[in-house]
Amino acid sequence: MKNKTSCLLALLSISLVSCVKEIDFETETFERALVVEARITNEEKKHEIKLSRSYRFEDDGAVPETNAIVKVVSANGDILFEETEAGKYVSMTAFKAMPNMNYALQIMTIDDRSYKSNEISLTQATQVDKVYAVRETNDDGVNGMSIYIDTYDPTGNSNYYRYEYDETYKVIAPLWVDKDLIVVADDWPNCFVELVPRPNTRVCYNTVGSMDNIQASTVELSEDRLTRFLVRAISSEDYILSWRYTILIRQYVQSQEAYSYYEALSDYAGEGSLFSQNQPGFISSNMRSENNSEEKVLGFFEVSSVSSKRIFFNYEDYYPNEPQPPYASSCLEISPEIDLGHPADLCGPLLVLIEGGDILYYRENEFPGPREGPYYVVPTECGDCTRLGTTSVPDFWEE
Amino acid sequence: MKNYLTILVLFIFSSVFSQVSVSSISIEFENANIETVISDIEEKTNFKFYYIPEWLEEKTVSGIYKDITLEELLKELFKDSLINYYISEDNKVILTKNTIIYDELPEQFFQEQNKVTTQMTSEEEELKAPVFYNEARSEVVKKLETIRIGKESKNRSQKTYTLSGTIFNATNGGGVPELAIVVKGANIGAVTDKNGAYTIELPAGINLIETNSLGFEKVQKRIIIYNNGSYDLTLSEAYEGLEEVIVEANVDRNVDEVNAGKTQINVKDIRNIPLVLGERDIFKVAATLPGISSAGEGASGYNVRGGKTDQNLVLLDNGIIYNPTHFFGIFSAINPFTSDQVDIYKGNIPAKFGGRLSSVFDIETKDANVEKLSGEASIGPVTANLVLEVPLVEDKASILVGGRATYSDWILRSLDSEELNKSKASFYDFITKYNHRFDENNDLKVTGYYSKDAFSITSDSIYGYSNRLATVNWGHKFNDANRGELIFTNSQYKFNIDFDGQTNTDFELGYVINESELKLNLQHFRKAHSIDYGFSSKIYKVAPGFIDPINSESIVESFTIPSDRALESAFYISDIYEVSDELTVNAGVRFSIFNALGASAQNIYQEGLPKSEGTLIETKEFGKNEVIKTYAAPEFRLAARYFIKPSFSVKGSFNTNYQYIHTLSNNTTVSPIDTWKLSDINIKPQHATQYSLGLFKNFNGNVFELSLEGYYKKMDDILDYKVGAQLLLNENIERDVLQGDGKAYGIEFLLKKTKGKLNGWVGYTYSRSFVRLDGDSPEETVNNGDFFPSNYDKPHDFSVVGNYKLTRRYSLSANFVYQTGRPVTIPVGNFVLDGSEFVFYSDRNSFRIPDYYRLDISVNIEGNHKIKKFAHSFWNISIYNVLGRNNPFSVFFVTDDGEIKAYQSSIFSIPIPTITYNFRF
Repeated sequence: MKNKTSCLLALLSISLVSCVKEIDFETETFERALVVEARITNEEKKHEIKLSRSYRFEDDGAVPETNAIVKVVSANGDILFEETEAGKYVSMTAFKAMPNMNYALQIMTIDDRSYKSNEISLTQATQVDKVYAVRETNDDGVNGMSIYIDTYDPTGNSNYYRYEYDETYKVIAPLWVDKDLIVVADDWPNCFVELVPRPNTRVCYNTVGSMDNIQASTVELSEDRLTRFLVRAISSEDYILSWRYTILIRQYVQSQEAYSYYEALSDYAGEGSLFSQNQPGFISSNMRSENNSEEKVLGFFEVSSVSSKRIFFNYEDYYPNEPQPPYASSCLEISPEIDLGHPADLCGPLLVLIEGGDILYYRENEFPGPREGPYYVVPTECGDCTRLGTTSVPDFWEE
Repeated sequence: MKNYLTILVLFIFSSVFSQVSVSSISIEFENANIETVISDIEEKTNFKFYYIPEWLEEKTVSGIYKDITLEELLKELFKDSLINYYISEDNKVILTKNTIIYDELPEQFFQEQNKVTTQMTSEEEELKAPVFYNEARSEVVKKLETIRIGKESKNRSQKTYTLSGTIFNATNGGGVPELAIVVKGANIGAVTDKNGAYTIELPAGINLIETNSLGFEKVQKRIIIYNNGSYDLTLSEAYEGLEEVIVEANVDRNVDEVNAGKTQINVKDIRNIPLVLGERDIFKVAATLPGISSAGEGASGYNVRGGKTDQNLVLLDNGIIYNPTHFFGIFSAINPFTSDQVDIYKGNIPAKFGGRLSSVFDIETKDANVEKLSGEASIGPVTANLVLEVPLVEDKASILVGGRATYSDWILRSLDSEELNKSKASFYDFITKYNHRFDENNDLKVTGYYSKDAFSITSDSIYGYSNRLATVNWGHKFNDANRGELIFTNSQYKFNIDFDGQTNTDFELGYVINESELKLNLQHFRKAHSIDYGFSSKIYKVAPGFIDPINSESIVESFTIPSDRALESAFYISDIYEVSDELTVNAGVRFSIFNALGASAQNIYQEGLPKSEGTLIETKEFGKNEVIKTYAAPEFRLAARYFIKPSFSVKGSFNTNYQYIHTLSNNTTVSPIDTWKLSDINIKPQHATQYSLGLFKNFNGNVFELSLEGYYKKMDDILDYKVGAQLLLNENIERDVLQGDGKAYGIEFLLKKTKGKLNGWVGYTYSRSFVRLDGDSPEETVNNGDFFPSNYDKPHDFSVVGNYKLTRRYSLSANFVYQTGRPVTIPVGNFVLDGSEFVFYSDRNSFRIPDYYRLDISVNIEGNHKIKKFAHSFWNISIYNVLGRNNPFSVFFVTDDGEIKAYQSSIFSIPIPTITYNFRF
């Protein structure tokens, strides 16, 4: 909303007149609508469906919809889903969506309301041709690594694509040492700390999923082909590039309805300006209530074919002999006192920081200056990678 | 009869009383000429004098008067002159030479010799059989003279005889031309030639003839004709109170006009209405009248009787203006100084207009003064405006030139603020009109108009839009019964966005619509009929969108949507038929034909399915000028007025309209980058039917006008859009467009006081406007396919406009507006899908923003009216939004760091004072 501070009358030089201001807004007539997140694919697996409820702006987080009866019906019989955790329903058997077969999702909630989707068939299966990384300044002005995808459907039936990715990167804590400081006593005048051995938390791996809605359509193009379609851009300043990086891109071929639904959702995520306002509205789902046609249902039931590809690269592959990006946090070492002594009559800040988990031991301070302690300590992230990932190596990881 | 006389007597008393009650005057003058004395009196009192300076003799007067009445003073001033005076009730002093203006009827009028004892002034005592020239009902009361022509012969062979002669002017002895001589009770008449000579065939025997001419006394003679002969007659001149006639000409329009729902705004009457930022605006005034509203301040476009903003036909000298606003609708693009009047048809649209569903704003630029150079100029806080009227051929041809420009750009550039001095906001408009009267039967009017807006809100993009218009109008009078005008117009509207940012994606994006129209309007008058008929045809050419890279670094690819062309034609005929004194009917039919023309590629979709890539059957190619699709339909325009009493009428109308061009806008209000789309294979024309019924009443001799009118309007195939539709640069726009129904109804109340120290109006409208979008698929259905309130549905709309004249030079004005807040769609909650948080919106337009109200006041100061003064000046000091009400224009929601924030935008949230200086010469 770049226009929110601009103002007509400022333009007309009478800048006294206010134009846009934030107002208090509370959801007066809140609707607790069912949200369906259901995508079954042509992968043989136990598919997952999530049910939740919409929530007020003031509240945080979706409320899971529990104890519902969920099934996918098709000519091959019903596939039942069971609730494995609140709001998460997993098919009792592994299955995959078959081409030329109609599927419908049926839900019966605990309050005896039933919901049903339209009958949907599997979309065209199209393989991802290529996923590749390029170092460049992309069209959006991001200088760094761009992850592109190429895909081509010779049948020309795919047309609508949605991308999700999981990126995994190695994190190496730059100031990891095998010793740790613990507090032995912090009851002044008894202020004691001790050095103890520490497990190896130098190298970690972190996986993050895509958050944005990434969609592409080839409808306007002469053939059903995407070339150099940007899925992910990472700035050269981002520490996740520092060591080794991998990205798995999943390509879902969507139906036109599903594509439009997701596109509309992300489009209207709040556009407006001083003079005009895009017309927002409720976007109809392909799920509907069987009890009350006026009831709003959110989310979508999709049966889409999926294809995925993973690539790996190291920082040196693209940035040979260049300094690494700055680490996730700045790793300044400090040497706080253990004991503030008289007349403060308190243990020093070192103990407070250790107990708060904010710092880690780095090295000894051989010549402590005034108001310094015997050890240099650093922020925890600098010495312990588990703040930014986990030490267990993912099964897909390749060095 | 006695009662009648009593009223008369009371009238005289009251008039005497009113004269006496006028505060007395103290004045002194020495060797002053009478004109100076008169202007002295004008300045000291509320009286205004009407006279011809030549009448006043050169002689000077001297005197010292203390606390005398105006009456006494005037008697004194004019005692030795030929000047008579008359003091009217509304503080006008009319001076006449020789003639006396009578404010009562002659005694003989009642043909009874009752003795009336009244307190009369000496002048009134002199009343004897006065001669009333001016009023038709006061016929000459003279003994009818009988003239015998020829010698009666015993064997009369002929049935008619010829009478000839000359009518002379008693004043100068010359002939009286163009004088009508009619035989009463027979259909015989003659007109004198330029020398005053006439010839008339009279049936043998007794004929009652009467002379009839403007400016001469009416004379009746009984002529007994026995043979051919001659007869000369001498007539005296009579004065006509012309000024009064002009002012009163349309007094009963409110009740008399056949077309219900017609509103006329006289531009010179609106100058006292408070202004925003010093700009007089006919559209803003129109919006204070019932049935016309806008979505809010800063919304261009007006909604007439629940119709969309694209359903108004805005005509400037017969040519269409697509976007008649500057700066997002805050100012009108029509120069108020050059406009004469605006006729707004919101109910029955006359058959000669067509192409829009809801209304016609027929704006006429005034003809420039053909006698002397004159002009008008104004300086306000935002704009300067200058209009000149230049005579070219005396009494025949003249040209009007008007220009208006803003200096806000200059102000912005000189500001210190980094953010603001890069902004740009400028507009100007220019108009010129040439009018030439070749002879009585032929005149030519040519208008040229251009308006341009440019603004930037962010530093990297510049928006611009412009209107261009040219019209030629040749009026021809075939004879008294037949008239016609041939009109050619060309209009163009375009906008463009220039984006010049940091990256290599600089582009220029644009849109152009151009139309040329030829119209022939003919009129035929006969007895009780006034028949309008004619033909019009226009060709459209639309460049729906193009994008081009601006410079060589730009990687933007050129892309142009192929242009659309169409021909829209219509034949019409309508008749205003005076069935009886009470009933007048205006019945018309307009047959409109729309041909969408090639070259074009049209997508054909499966019937009954949503239009999408998946339902596309084929793309048909059409060659140049090949007809793609024809829509044709009759449109009926029916209106009737019936006088229940002379000052009380009932009017009804039934009206159908087709519209073949639509705006594409997915904004809730109009924005300058809205585009116009022609109907084609996939987009059907819009259609509306309106019924209205109203009661109209005038009170107090037309001082008060009251009207109450109800309407019901049904609309089909009006355009709307899918949520999140992409409208600009979309080749397959039909896939994002929805066509639905609309309905609107309302009741409008208007009370107007047209004269007096306090004048103005009070209007109240209760109206509703709904839309229904019930498509074949969920994405084509809004709100479950039920009717929902339109974006401009404002049930209550109340406005008061008042003007109070303190003195002749000072007046106070105020207006107050109250409107229900318009409907909006609001977020009602959040939800999470695929890990992202989204906003969950309510049904379309199920909430309303807070109500709108606003009070404006202004003081108007006129310069004094000294005749010899070069220019006549006028100051207007206005305060807009005196109450400082922060009226929300829109409420919108923004996802900021995962949080939903609500914002309200308002345009004028604090009182805004402005001073404007105008002068006329």
